[in-house]
Amino acid sequence: MARANGRNSWATPTRAAERDDPAAGAAPRRKILEVRDLAVSFKTYGGTVQAVRGISFDLYEGETLAIVGESGSGKSVTIRAILGILTRNARIVGGEIRYRGRDLTQLLEDEFHDIRGKLISLVFQDPLSALNPIMKIGRQITEALQLSLGMGRVEARDRAIELMRAVAIPEPEKRFDQYPFQFSGGMRQRIVIAIALASDPEILICDEPTTALDVTVQAQILELIAELKTRRNLSVIFITHDLGVVANVADRIAVMYAGRVVETGTADDLFYDARHPYTWALLSSMPDLETREKLFSIPGAPPNMLYPPAGDAFAERNAYALRIDHDQHPPFFRISDTHSAATWLLHPKAPRVERPKVLVERIARIMERRAADELARDE
Amino acid sequence: MIKYTLQRLVALALTLLVILTIAFLVIRLMPGSIYENTELPPRLLETMEAKYRLNEPMIVQYAYFIRDILGGDWGTSIAIRVNVPVWQVLYARIPVSLQLNIVALAIALPVGVLAGIAAALFQNGKVDHAISFLVVVFVSVPSFVFATLLQYTLGFRLGLFPIVYRASAEGFARYASIVMPIAALSLGPIARVARYLRGELIETVSSDFMLLARTKGLSLFDATLRHAMRNSLLPLANIIIPMFTSILTGSLVVERIFAVAGVGGLLVNSLNASDHPLTIAILVFYSMLSLLTILIVDLSYGLIDPRVRVGGAKNE
Repeated sequence: MARANGRNSWATPTRAAERDDPAAGAAPRRKILEVRDLAVSFKTYGGTVQAVRGISFDLYEGETLAIVGESGSGKSVTIRAILGILTRNARIVGGEIRYRGRDLTQLLEDEFHDIRGKLISLVFQDPLSALNPIMKIGRQITEALQLSLGMGRVEARDRAIELMRAVAIPEPEKRFDQYPFQFSGGMRQRIVIAIALASDPEILICDEPTTALDVTVQAQILELIAELKTRRNLSVIFITHDLGVVANVADRIAVMYAGRVVETGTADDLFYDARHPYTWALLSSMPDLETREKLFSIPGAPPNMLYPPAGDAFAERNAYALRIDHDQHPPFFRISDTHSAATWLLHPKAPRVERPKVLVERIARIMERRAADELARDE
Repeated sequence: MIKYTLQRLVALALTLLVILTIAFLVIRLMPGSIYENTELPPRLLETMEAKYRLNEPMIVQYAYFIRDILGGDWGTSIAIRVNVPVWQVLYARIPVSLQLNIVALAIALPVGVLAGIAAALFQNGKVDHAISFLVVVFVSVPSFVFATLLQYTLGFRLGLFPIVYRASAEGFARYASIVMPIAALSLGPIARVARYLRGELIETVSSDFMLLARTKGLSLFDATLRHAMRNSLLPLANIIIPMFTSILTGSLVVERIFAVAGVGGLLVNSLNASDHPLTIAILVFYSMLSLLTILIVDLSYGLIDPRVRVGGAKNE
């Protein structure tokens, strides 16, 4: 698959666009998850925190959607809402989450038991704390199989060992009876993935699954997730703040800022043709091998979501901000069938601005390398 | 595990030796003589001193003392029940005290655990606030104050229970008379267990592995039962030691308040009467109880926590 070529560096995003091209003969894809205008607020002593303020995105069968954004942008809250595991002080104040036609926001806790872990699974950020320290690894995998799928002990054990093999745990029979403290971080994340896969879900949500791991292990885990995705025909939502990770795994990307999606498109759209100043800033603040000068960083801090700003939340930190950005939130402007961004810069009356120089240079370099890669491949 | 157990047993024996030595020294250093009557004929005194080897240097006395104990001879009572072997005196009292302590502990644990769970699950709700308030009261007020308060209110004012323990009574009357001593002894431990478990549970319930358990498809009830409970009960083993000893020491006083003929009263009497062999036997009895509790907790920790059990085995 094309996917295999793009993995070595972030600089060469996947050929997702090629694969998605209907002209290439791909079957029309079905939406599996549809989030519409989802808004989630938290009641705190300080007031109501508007963590997610009306976000929408779709997940298609068999694709990987990456949700990118810095801490506090509402990524994790969104997926917790999808899984129905929001904390008690959180409330879904608007919107809907349609999974195969059912609105998950309307489900009762009991009804969620048939979905959570069975059809939609979650891989955690920190594998070190995600496993119960005093329960055997095998037991933690079989538990859900036995309790909610009603499998027998032996059957569940066989299935667990098979799963452990699928996530490349050596000697699964021996490992089955060990405890989490006898596993390394990467191994534990493999176990967490195995648990997520236990009842053959359709959607796998990965919440920064590599953040807590060191870089070499990160690559292995990303590879494992990509491999499992193709082999098991999973749809994956990948939450991350690391664009480098996104480049390797995502078909489509949604960039979030302050509880809203600000730009969405295919991986190619966002890496080569980003339109939102926040996406520019994110791309510019990422080091690559050519980075010599001081790395760009976005000035200021994300807004306090107790008092979200009236206009574009990014305006305060945005060198390209127009006056209207401070008063009125920009709507989504369509750039292509796959690509749209919420910035006034795309308004027909907006002044033309140049993208940051760092970014232009970087894209040029990427294009060059990609062309070279393709040439090398053709030969 | 076997090696670990042996290590613990050796440590226990050594601790006991230290306790014996200290008990021996402290008692010999006490002022006064074991003979209150100063007009005894000198010959009789000499005979008596020779009998109890009081005419020997202290170090020799100590050697005899240890030798006798190793030989299983703890001596006889010299004042309370003259010439009766000390353990026999003690045996008569142990069941009463032990019954009181064990029942108090047996009540404190489940009640405390339930209260802790309730407080944690309804965190910051009315139930939690009520329990937390009572916990503060019960933790800070010592058991003998409760004993007196209970005697006054339930016993004297309301007349619900007999004011003192009635060992001779039969059936219901006897059980009724034991209610207040046990209540006085168990309120503190209940509060301590509840407070501890509440803290542990709240921490565990909000842990990532609880979330994982729920995203696995376990119901909140299953997840709490299977993941949070066991993990929270584990550290509880840690506070049972000080709790057991505190019930024991608390019962020294509470036994006197309710006139319970237990070991606590006996200890006070034997000290007053300079009945040294008996005092030492009681001290050793209390020490043994504490040491055994610690041993049980240490060993059970290994059984419950795989990080101790398996990790320890790897290092052996």
